[in-house]
Amino acid sequence: MTSAMTSMGATGLEITVNLIKTVLVFLMMVQAVPILVWLERRGSAFIQNRFGPNRVGPLGLVQLLADAVKFLTKEDFVPEKGSRFMFYAAPIFALIPAAIAYMAIPMSVPLKLDSAMIKATFLIQGFEINVGIVFVLGVSSLAAYTILMAGWGSGSKYSLMGALRASAQIISYELALGLSIVGVILLYGSFSLTEMIAAQQGVLKFSMFGYTVACDYLPNWGIFYQPLGMMLFFAATFAESNRLPFDLAEGEAELVAGFHTEYGGFKMLMFFIGEYGHMMIASGLMATFFFGGYSIWSYTPQEVYQWLYAWVGSAQLANILNTAVHFLSYNIKFAFFLWIFIWVRWTLPRFRYDQLMDIGWKTMLPWALANAMITATLIFVGSYFAF
Amino acid sequence: MTADAFLFWFLAFASLAGALGVVLITNPIHCALSLVMTMVSVAALFVTLQAYFLAGVQLIVYAGAVMVLFVMVLMLFDLKNEIQAFSRGRAKGAFKIGAVGILSGLIVGAVARVTLFTDTPPSASTMAQASTSVGAIRPLAESLFFDYVFGFEILGVLLLVIAVGAVALSRSKGGTHAK
Repeated sequence: MTSAMTSMGATGLEITVNLIKTVLVFLMMVQAVPILVWLERRGSAFIQNRFGPNRVGPLGLVQLLADAVKFLTKEDFVPEKGSRFMFYAAPIFALIPAAIAYMAIPMSVPLKLDSAMIKATFLIQGFEINVGIVFVLGVSSLAAYTILMAGWGSGSKYSLMGALRASAQIISYELALGLSIVGVILLYGSFSLTEMIAAQQGVLKFSMFGYTVACDYLPNWGIFYQPLGMMLFFAATFAESNRLPFDLAEGEAELVAGFHTEYGGFKMLMFFIGEYGHMMIASGLMATFFFGGYSIWSYTPQEVYQWLYAWVGSAQLANILNTAVHFLSYNIKFAFFLWIFIWVRWTLPRFRYDQLMDIGWKTMLPWALANAMITATLIFVGSYFAF
Repeated sequence: MTADAFLFWFLAFASLAGALGVVLITNPIHCALSLVMTMVSVAALFVTLQAYFLAGVQLIVYAGAVMVLFVMVLMLFDLKNEIQAFSRGRAKGAFKIGAVGILSGLIVGAVARVTLFTDTPPSASTMAQASTSVGAIRPLAESLFFDYVFGFEILGVLLLVIAVGAVALSRSKGGTHAK
């Protein structure tokens, strides 16, 4: 059995840096949550023509820190009829799938350091996984257990009903999610997210039936090849993270607060970290599959590097700036999709539960299947027959 | 002890602990959750064997869908009778442990017999060459769709029959609102 640990890096420095990177990506995900909550509270306030929290700190930015301190001082209780082990385990388990899945998303061009002191290539992602998307889907499907454990461990009927509904919703939309990506996988011929990003660089150019279609001012992004897949994927990720319009499981009018009714204090915050973590994975995957990942419009990273090299004159500095610029580009797309998540939440009303399940099984699943079949047929026919 | 050996033994113990938990724990929901632990440990073992695709599929299908449905269905039942029905007492306990011991002895004996008395296992190079990204999935897909296509299609038909049969059976008994 060949060593699984050699994939962590050859030298001691590489192994250390990779371990630190793993921790950093997790922390990044957790630390983005306060910013997202602030964005949500202020953004929703402006959408609803009110102010939102603006007293604690400048622009209300310290509000969530104050909330966290408040939560830390709350009473720590377990409902009497619930299962103590599961009540405590569920919020901890909420963090795990989102954090692990976020490791697989490449956030920038690999950083190549070539100086006299260090000579290494660092990937700007948690861990390089060559079956990227299969791993991400597999790990994020474990999120259903959080909800089930929370609902059961609370020992109350509202929680259990909310948990069963939410987990049924999640496994239904997992199907639509996986199938909507099949078109993208067929198109790029690989599961690896890095290869998908590499295939989306440059200008829009594809060949079909012997003709080559090229458009110089559009990038080669996945959205132009798989528009239906993009819409289905985006809608399915709303359901996967239990966000409006699919959040009946936590709907206040029906079920008090669904599976996290009995949770208070920091345990509830951990559920929200998990929910925002899933939103972040969804945004990252949207950017990766359909919007070119970290690439900047239609310029390949080599072109950007050449431009930077001509500007600064030093190869080392140009490398570092290249990585930084692409990281910024990825984050802009990432933030844009997160904002759309928040925007949609405060715009659309929620679906009724039977409508929700109907959409998942009777609308999105057939459309995703049709998308996969049409994509496969077009790819095969387009490359096989040349007129 | 190298990192590989430690990882293997840790995952092996986790899988076995989960599997033993399924048969020895009395609360059915806890049993289902320890089965989930078994599935996830087996997926991790697949990763150490560099079968990444199989690990991902194991997580998606088994741990992510099948076991979620198991746990959901178990939550819909009244389990107080179940917890007490599973007997306690020394004779029954000895019987349980004896049965587990015999089964594990059989399995260990079979594995030992195969590994100790046959030729050398496949070399690391043949295993390593089958493990790079699409390279690992391509031989799998080729053997599935070329060599075993009949079995694959028959399994699909079988699953369809199961789905149709389950719906037909429940409808004949009055559907989801039956008494």
